[in-house]
Amino acid sequence: MKDASIDALIDGLATDLKPVRPQRLLRGGLWVAAGWIAGGAALLWLFGMRHDLSAGLAMAPLPMLAFWLIAALGMAAAWSALRMGLPSVGRDYSGWRWAGLAALALPLSAIFIGFGDSHSAMEAMRPEHGMRCTVDGLIAGIGVGAALFAWLKGGAPTSPARAGWVIGIAAGSAGATAVGLHCSSNDMIHIAMWHGLAIPLWGVAGRVLLAPLLRW
Amino acid sequence: MSIDEPSLARLMAASQRGDRAAYRALLGDCRKWLARYFARRIAPHLIDDLVQETLVSMHRKLATWDSGRPFLPWLAAIARYRWIDMLRRQRDEAELGDNDAAVGAEDDAVHARISIDRMLGYLTPGQAQAITLVKIEGASIAEASKICGQSESLVKVNIHRGLKKLAQLIESE
Repeated sequence: MKDASIDALIDGLATDLKPVRPQRLLRGGLWVAAGWIAGGAALLWLFGMRHDLSAGLAMAPLPMLAFWLIAALGMAAAWSALRMGLPSVGRDYSGWRWAGLAALALPLSAIFIGFGDSHSAMEAMRPEHGMRCTVDGLIAGIGVGAALFAWLKGGAPTSPARAGWVIGIAAGSAGATAVGLHCSSNDMIHIAMWHGLAIPLWGVAGRVLLAPLLRW
Repeated sequence: MSIDEPSLARLMAASQRGDRAAYRALLGDCRKWLARYFARRIAPHLIDDLVQETLVSMHRKLATWDSGRPFLPWLAAIARYRWIDMLRRQRDEAELGDNDAAVGAEDDAVHARISIDRMLGYLTPGQAQAITLVKIEGASIAEASKICGQSESLVKVNIHRGLKKLAQLIESE
């Protein structure tokens, strides 16, 4: 009985077969890059670049360091998310965690700076001085979030919960890098808190909102 | 005919191009491989259902196999996902399995990596024993209760908690 039903299933699946175009990481990566560029370009087009960049000067050292740390986290998370779409037992998807640990240097530095100058720290932490950057970062990350979600929806992520987190971290990091090119602040506390906040917020959104939609 | 990685990979590549004969042969081989794979992981009367679910998932996700990578780890990842899904459903089910005998599975590198025995080692002895007796060997709750000396309600609690933890462990592998 069961054997017959499996035989019938195999016949049905074989009859139903149509040629498929294999999913390629390169193609997914190009979509993510396009989403990253589109989110950043839209933010800069609407609100402009930070002062030093728009004057043709190099970015100040501290925001530049933060920019590259966050960009590395975003790229590592995006790469992990792309690989999660093509399942295989034994594959390691944890590369983004190391980049995440390195990026923790930003909030840790901000905490130590805050201990040294608590008055400036309190000023920098006031929402009216930074909430706008967080919101901009959340919005600018939508391109990467959408590209990764579409990729994983078509793919076969075997841990949707983890995939949701990683999509969110990649999208938040992409948004934070876009804000880093727009916001003129050189203050580490501002950058770590208000730019960086987009990353955990996007992460939670990915886990809560996107992960259930990735089940297959 | 033995099920070997290069043959399966060739059949899969042909299937992605739309070759129905190759696909039918591939599904037949996968069916045998999956039956062995699930044999030591789930009660015998559920194996055929899980094999069918995995074949359907495989069909839906054909495009996610990269011809530059081995086929069996890809199939095992899909099988594991369906297995976790069934563990989750079982966790929530009140109805429990019939009394069937378990059959041994052939061991290979992919099987060993996510061996149920290794996973059970992460559970408490009570949870591991309850799951082994009821979910893998197919004993009833009452029989498991007599064998392991736990009350029937404790057996149910151990199965529920153990399956929940097991699903999390397998997913994080």
